[in-house]
Amino acid sequence: MLVVGIDIGGTFTDFITFDGKEMRTHKVLSTPSNQSMAVLQGLRELGVLGEPDLEIVHGSTVATNALLERKGGKVALITTQGFEDVLEIGRQNRPSLYDLNVQRLPPLVPSERRLGVPERTIYTGEVIQPLDEAAARRVARQVKDLGVDSLAICLLFSYANPSHEQRLVELCKEAGIKGFISASHQILPEYREYERTSTTVVNAYVVPVMDRYLSRLSAELGATPLRIMQSNGGAISAETAKTESIRTVLSGPAGGVVGALFLARLSGYDHIISFDMGGTSTDVSLCEGGINTTTESVVAGNAVRVPMIELHTVGAGGGSIARLDEGGALRVGPESAGADPGPICYGKGTEIAVTDANVVLGRISPDHFLGGRMKLHDEAARRAVDELARAMRMSREAVAEGIVRVANATMQRAIQVMSVERGHDPRDFALLSFGGAGGLHCCELAENLSIPRLIIPNHAGLLSAFGMITSDVVKDYSQTVLINTAATSQADLAKLFEPLDQRGLDEMLAEGLPRQRLRFARSLDMRYIGQSFEISVPWMDDYIAEFHRLHGVRYGYSNPKRPTEIVNLRLRTSGEVTPPEFPRLPAGSADPGAARLGASPVYYRGAWHDTPLYERERLQAGNTIDGLAVVYEKTATTLITPGFQGVVDEVGNIILTRK
Amino acid sequence: MYDPIRLEIFKNLFVAAAEEMGVTLGRTSFSPNIKERRDYSCAVFDGRGDMVAQAAHIPVHLGSQPLSVLSVIEHLALERGDVAILNDPFRGGTHLPDITLVSPVFVPGDDKPMFFVANRAHHADVGGMTAGSLPMATEIYQEGIIIPPVKIVEKGRLSEGIMNLILANVRTPQEREGDLSAQMAANNTGERRLLEIVERNGKEVTAQYMKELQNYAERMTREAIRQLPDGVYEFEDYMDNDGITDEPIRIKVAITIKGDEAVIDFTGSQPQVAGGVNAVYAVTLSAAFYVFRCSVGYDIPSNSGCMAPIKVIAPEGTVVNARPPAAVVGGNVETSQRMVDVLLGAMAKAAPEKYPAASCGSMNNITIGGIDPRSGKPFAYYETIAGGMGARPTSNGLDGVHTHMTNTLNTPVEAIEVAYPFRVTCYALRRGSGGKGKFRGGDGVIRELELRCDAQVTILSERRKFAPYGVLGGESGKPGENLHIRNGERRVLPSKINFVAKVGDSVSIATPGGGGYGSPG
Repeated sequence: MLVVGIDIGGTFTDFITFDGKEMRTHKVLSTPSNQSMAVLQGLRELGVLGEPDLEIVHGSTVATNALLERKGGKVALITTQGFEDVLEIGRQNRPSLYDLNVQRLPPLVPSERRLGVPERTIYTGEVIQPLDEAAARRVARQVKDLGVDSLAICLLFSYANPSHEQRLVELCKEAGIKGFISASHQILPEYREYERTSTTVVNAYVVPVMDRYLSRLSAELGATPLRIMQSNGGAISAETAKTESIRTVLSGPAGGVVGALFLARLSGYDHIISFDMGGTSTDVSLCEGGINTTTESVVAGNAVRVPMIELHTVGAGGGSIARLDEGGALRVGPESAGADPGPICYGKGTEIAVTDANVVLGRISPDHFLGGRMKLHDEAARRAVDELARAMRMSREAVAEGIVRVANATMQRAIQVMSVERGHDPRDFALLSFGGAGGLHCCELAENLSIPRLIIPNHAGLLSAFGMITSDVVKDYSQTVLINTAATSQADLAKLFEPLDQRGLDEMLAEGLPRQRLRFARSLDMRYIGQSFEISVPWMDDYIAEFHRLHGVRYGYSNPKRPTEIVNLRLRTSGEVTPPEFPRLPAGSADPGAARLGASPVYYRGAWHDTPLYERERLQAGNTIDGLAVVYEKTATTLITPGFQGVVDEVGNIILTRK
Repeated sequence: MYDPIRLEIFKNLFVAAAEEMGVTLGRTSFSPNIKERRDYSCAVFDGRGDMVAQAAHIPVHLGSQPLSVLSVIEHLALERGDVAILNDPFRGGTHLPDITLVSPVFVPGDDKPMFFVANRAHHADVGGMTAGSLPMATEIYQEGIIIPPVKIVEKGRLSEGIMNLILANVRTPQEREGDLSAQMAANNTGERRLLEIVERNGKEVTAQYMKELQNYAERMTREAIRQLPDGVYEFEDYMDNDGITDEPIRIKVAITIKGDEAVIDFTGSQPQVAGGVNAVYAVTLSAAFYVFRCSVGYDIPSNSGCMAPIKVIAPEGTVVNARPPAAVVGGNVETSQRMVDVLLGAMAKAAPEKYPAASCGSMNNITIGGIDPRSGKPFAYYETIAGGMGARPTSNGLDGVHTHMTNTLNTPVEAIEVAYPFRVTCYALRRGSGGKGKFRGGDGVIRELELRCDAQVTILSERRKFAPYGVLGGESGKPGENLHIRNGERRVLPSKINFVAKVGDSVSIATPGGGGYGSPG
């Protein structure tokens, strides 16, 4: 068996191959107009294309980009008559309160392609108005005449009784509608019509693009099995991804967190907060032994309610622009210099970015940045900061350090949202930093949040690709039930789970997984009767008591006397894959001297310090580095502050511990 | 002298504390108005009761929440572990369904509170003449239970007497109790965060930056006012009626811009009326601050500094500053919207390139109460329905969206029908209802409900008679229309009405479109 993990980024497409013994890595330039070209080129260069027992797992941004750039398929939507506008009205709110020029993105399906049919089911599943077949046929013909790529169907209460949606699918097929039909009872059998409609429509919108891409790639790959990373941190077959494309819209970030967790586990940690600081934004996620998913995501302005990795994104990154605002506060972000023009120190930018501040502080050295491959215009960065410093009547260094502190405050907030606001104490977690810029900020963040431990992973640039080859095959299923817990029992619930279990089993077998490797994990979305937000409770004998406990942890109070209800049943099926053996680093002594690159001045907490520099690639297991120190690697830079001591472990991760 | 870096960091810290209070409240409450529709606000105040930061939840609480904290300070000596509750519109409240909880935050060792935290939430029922507590009353005593500032928690112990008194006066006591627990939890969250801020930064620095944040917001607001041309700008408009008589109600304003200060004078507005559309001063303040908050093109914390350069004059005994025992429930939801319309109308005279045409101008409130035949228990449903947004100087108004003083979510059809004995038979945009113009006004919405039992229906709406105005030659939006449908027969209802509907009847609300901007040409 030869597994290849492929992560498609904006600039590079990364490859990791693993044959059961050895791991290899490779990198080619991405081909954004047709991502499969870079994939095929890399496979060719690795010499694995056409290998008989090759298996490919691939993180795809095809669906994400289609949504972000609004380049998905031409979609029609069929709804219950009188509810054609639910998609457009949404939840009737505006995205910002005090902006008279506030705008909302137009719906993915315009009104002329939203068609209603007379029919009605109610919450009990009872049909009170049969589907008007003649009208339905007319609508099907209209859809056909519209010449759409894809069709979404979402009728009221179809989660309780899908028969009308099923019949409509048949009638539409009879009418000769080409293209995939996304029916809401299949995509998301859960209550709340706007969210279900939006989720179904997003699926219909990305299916044509995904289908085109995967069909082309599969044709080139021949019989080689191809799996796609999903937003929930598990993979699915390309065949499934073609029809449930919505499950891949956060494929890339999910791969990164799965890879981060994999590497953390190798070092003995499975409670981590992953912190991915990029150029324009920072993603934070929290793992308690596994990745956390949420069903409340919004992607490019669209409600998407399938389980996806729970990320909090804030507009602070290496490219975030610093400026003094009209009221005299130092702002950093959310505007970003991005990759073009980029920070001033990259040569083209004109506005001070966080990276420029790091250069001024000596935390990024022009000699060693990105292995010395990129020339830095450090003098220009200093000149620009000086100008701001004059306006602020402060020293150059104080302003640069201030920019870093303001950016840190924004990122710290993201970590708090994911931890404290959800009832977790950040001190119980290790902060794992990846992404090019994160290493410069993570120690100070950990100090601010009293996090005692950090992990600076080895091969941070390849985390997503690691995620691909270490992820299980996972499928999530749900069903809204809305049952009072007093009126049910665990045995009754088990019965209700049976159709989900069966569907899960069938589909996992269809994915080609042997039965003995399948795992089934049930959970219940529960709330106090009358509430609107649910807490996910693992399936166990005393699920009611567990709900009260979790409510207390998350919100600070619980009331065991209050009646509770079960809103959704959830089933996660997974087929475990054998994770690769990770290469071990040669053991060395505590002295990191062999990796030393010399020393240079670094500004930290109000003063310049002569600071040792190290080269990551030459560090050996057991090497111990005391802060203040800077560690350079090809794709990232890490600042170890005086409060921390770093030890390189045998997989090459640097574990920083508070002194 | 302040440090621009710390200023920015403290801004994040205080806003985050208020936002986190909101997360706790929204996720653990029971009233649909709070949990689904986010009709609540959370804010942090300094030890004198001046607002430091408010989470961006709902504008109608912008200027009114500070008055509740001041009222608590005036009436009660709060000690460590106390929580005050109030809803009295004449002592710090807005209208009775909005219940505010105020907690002092003491730094260990201090004998005076360094902060107050407060949250205000709209409860689905607080008693009164009709279920849902938006009745057609003529005095406040008919509108529900009045809670003056009083301690609901004393030294960490819940005052059972106060709680029982409140619960005995409402239709859905279990839900109320759950909501009040959620509100207490929200204040606890805020307290915890603030004490962490002090622990990390020290008392003196924290206190200094609370003040600096207020100064900062004041500088920004003054800067925005300075950009408007000096002058006196007047505008007036009419509300349909007060629900008791059919007389139009005048709202008049004169805004004087001079340098970096503004005086907003509502003199000339109608004397207070019998029906419940009287606004208390707190609501009028909110409307004024909302308009100026929108005028500051920057993202600033909402705090007392935003209000410092603005003086609001509202003569006592008018619909914009009612005296007891006026009925006031609609002042908060309807009159506040019309005040925004006249304020924006006046501002558009100062700077037409900045301000939009009139939006829907109503929150289109509907409450339905009765006994649910499925359970035999009473129910109280409340919802507000979006309308069209007024066209802007550079773009069309949005369709089917809540504007100005509210931003609450709709209740999903699939949630309504589980919770209440209704069937929703239509929920659609009201095409063509936005006024034509160079940029067109947004379209309103049609929402139609069929009742599965006899029930008491109350509609509190506006702009059924007087249409949302257009500007610079833009046409008016279409006025709204309320219908009662029985056996296919459609009866047009007035703006405000309370009636008993029979099983099988339908109520259809068509909300107004927004006005257009510029001539359609």
